[in-house]
Amino acid sequence: MSGAATWSERLNPIVVKEVRQGLRTRVFWVFFGLMLLACLVISLVAWATASELGFDGGRPFFIAFYVCLGIVQFFIIPYTAYRSMAREREDETWVLLTLTGLGPRRILRGKLSSFLVQGALYASAAGPFLLFCYYLNGIDLPTILLCVLTGAAWQLFLTSVCVCTATLAEARITRALLHFMLLGTLLWGLMSGIGAVAGFVEGARSLLSDDAFWAAAIGTLWSLVSYAVLLFEAAAARLSLATESYARGPRLAFVVQVAGAVGLFFWGWQRSGSDADVLAVAEVLLCVHLAFVGLFVASDVDGMARRHWAGSPRLDLFKPGALRGFLLTALMVLTVGGIFVALLLSHYDGDVKELRGMLAAPAFVLLYLAAPTVLARLFEHHPSQTPVLVRVFTLGLVMLGSGVPPLVAVLVGAEPDQPALNALNPVVGLINLFRGESGWPAVLLLYGVSAGAVILALSMLFARDARPKDLAAA
Amino acid sequence: MSLLTVKGLSRHYGPLKAVDDISFSLEEGTILGFIGPNGAGKSTTMRILATLDVPTAGSVLLDGKSVVDAPDQVRPLLGYMPDRYGTYDDMTVLEFLDFFARAYRLKGAERKRRVDSVMEFAGLTPLADKLTVALSKGMKQRVALGRTLLHDPRLLILDEPADGLDPRARIELRELLKALAAQGKAVLISSHILTELSEICDTCAIIEQGRLLATGPVHEVLQRTAGTTPHTDLQLKLHGSGPALEQALQKAERLLLEQPLVKDVSVEGASVRLKVELQPGVAPTPGWSEEAAARLLRVLIAADVPVCSFQPRELDLEDAFMTVTRGKVQ
Repeated sequence: MSGAATWSERLNPIVVKEVRQGLRTRVFWVFFGLMLLACLVISLVAWATASELGFDGGRPFFIAFYVCLGIVQFFIIPYTAYRSMAREREDETWVLLTLTGLGPRRILRGKLSSFLVQGALYASAAGPFLLFCYYLNGIDLPTILLCVLTGAAWQLFLTSVCVCTATLAEARITRALLHFMLLGTLLWGLMSGIGAVAGFVEGARSLLSDDAFWAAAIGTLWSLVSYAVLLFEAAAARLSLATESYARGPRLAFVVQVAGAVGLFFWGWQRSGSDADVLAVAEVLLCVHLAFVGLFVASDVDGMARRHWAGSPRLDLFKPGALRGFLLTALMVLTVGGIFVALLLSHYDGDVKELRGMLAAPAFVLLYLAAPTVLARLFEHHPSQTPVLVRVFTLGLVMLGSGVPPLVAVLVGAEPDQPALNALNPVVGLINLFRGESGWPAVLLLYGVSAGAVILALSMLFARDARPKDLAAA
Repeated sequence: MSLLTVKGLSRHYGPLKAVDDISFSLEEGTILGFIGPNGAGKSTTMRILATLDVPTAGSVLLDGKSVVDAPDQVRPLLGYMPDRYGTYDDMTVLEFLDFFARAYRLKGAERKRRVDSVMEFAGLTPLADKLTVALSKGMKQRVALGRTLLHDPRLLILDEPADGLDPRARIELRELLKALAAQGKAVLISSHILTELSEICDTCAIIEQGRLLATGPVHEVLQRTAGTTPHTDLQLKLHGSGPALEQALQKAERLLLEQPLVKDVSVEGASVRLKVELQPGVAPTPGWSEEAAARLLRVLIAADVPVCSFQPRELDLEDAFMTVTRGKVQ
């Protein structure tokens, strides 16, 4: 067998199928032709006006060419990926793929790779035009290369978002809603992608020598890659059966993402002069992220399938089930909070004003994860509906918790941000602590309530995480 | 040992019991017809057997491996065809089968050989380069069947494969399934077209409201049903011609209508058709219909009616289905 044939045999079958199907569609050829035509027209204009624009002529034309490529890379390709995945689900070809033994991860990887291949085809057509700008002066080759790579990363991220979104909804109405939301997200993605590249091209020379720019660029790249992986794992989990080890991938991705973010922040924080305010802002942002992603991890269904009970211990945090999801999230929140507080205390003495806020942020997250976990289980419902119920209750509690106390304060004639009334308010309460308007009693109250809620949630989760009767007997 | 053993299988969605404690088994080389009205739980059962859903309780073993606990080991052993064929419109028949063969990890020459053999078996070779969107429903269904055979599974699970097919396509499908059973494959097939099933199935399972009402070899189920159906149809032919036959037919009609249990009598040419039915509320006992037929024949002979043939209509799966089920849906 020839090398090419061997290589083709090793290729993910989904890539072969998707590229084959993709190249056969009208959408591909229409946009390919339109992009080439637009690039050709722009290059003719560039040729005609090059002498007038002088030394910096390459930059505006690079942006113009990039817009042509960006429309395809940041909108058309991700949207096509969404449609492709949604069609697999609607036409029920998905189940046929699953039965072949390919597995959700391999199928999703194939989908993403095939759309990256299509993106590479578009980029290779636009490549000569982008390179042409170098000869028009005003833009250097590293900048061009960086823009193309950033574009590829942005396309990968947007395509992951689209493929993941396609796996989310079962009902027709939810699918329609998600479709519109996705179109909005893609428009935003298109504008921000092109805007970021244009901004970078215009200020490339000064930005490249700026440490803060590199720190931001590395942080952004980490966010894009880690969110893409997280979304990918979430989609794979959505497409897995309850009997499969669906929780491991997303939970592992979550842990790695947060660990990487903490590491990157620590590196950047030390280089930037170890400012306490920066530490506090970073901790709060991470806590918000932990609360958001942790909500999905902690709001799993109760218990786990029979086969998961065998082998590793019950409290293996990467196994399915709400108990393990909640524990993992809680441990991550406490660890992140602990690391940031330890960093603060290692650089500053005594009662710095950030300390109370930084101690409170993880407690707020735990409170607003534990309370809905308890509340949802007080209502009778089908076990499969637990995740949705917990998420709805979380949203409701956060809204009530941040909206009601200021209203009550106004009604009793106090200031809306009155510290005592807002002690458990996740927004105003936290701001009060950072401002120094709330003291240690507010922190203690918050810790007391949070601990109570967490203990209650854990006891409920333990009770519902029952081993199947026949296994228990064995 | 049976290839497929289903024990106490249940699938509940909240208070709805889509499948409720059903048990059956299937041997290699046999075809089991899964019969039931819409919403009876056929597709849910089939999805569980195909490792696409998880039961609330019960066990399913395919070649001794648990469908629930070891889906990865079970999948290579089964071929599943859902009620929607699931073809990609923008691929040719060859590309479609080649893609799935790749997905089943068949490599190089082995893949080509397997795809060719499946295309030949399903009569798809002349259509290899046609886009699947351009195929008729019957041909699409053959492509889907071809896909399920690519990895040479031991059990085929076919959900309503004959739905929407014209008579020719149905007959061709029937022949394909018989050929597959002759190769030693076990086939589990659900269908609403009961006459089709009765011609190809060795065993059948009748399901309603998630519960299995009857199961076993088709002739046994029919025998059991014959004892429980409260009505039976008979047909008799008289000897003679012209006015003598006319007179004999009128006499037979009159005599039969006077007999208890006879509900309806109609004359068609030289034949008389009659329907015998038990009184409402009277439970049928085994062999009651044969006894009734013998009594009617005695009456006719005693009255000197020239009977030259007298036979009860054979029960088929449709009768069994109508007798066993009550038309309830969930």
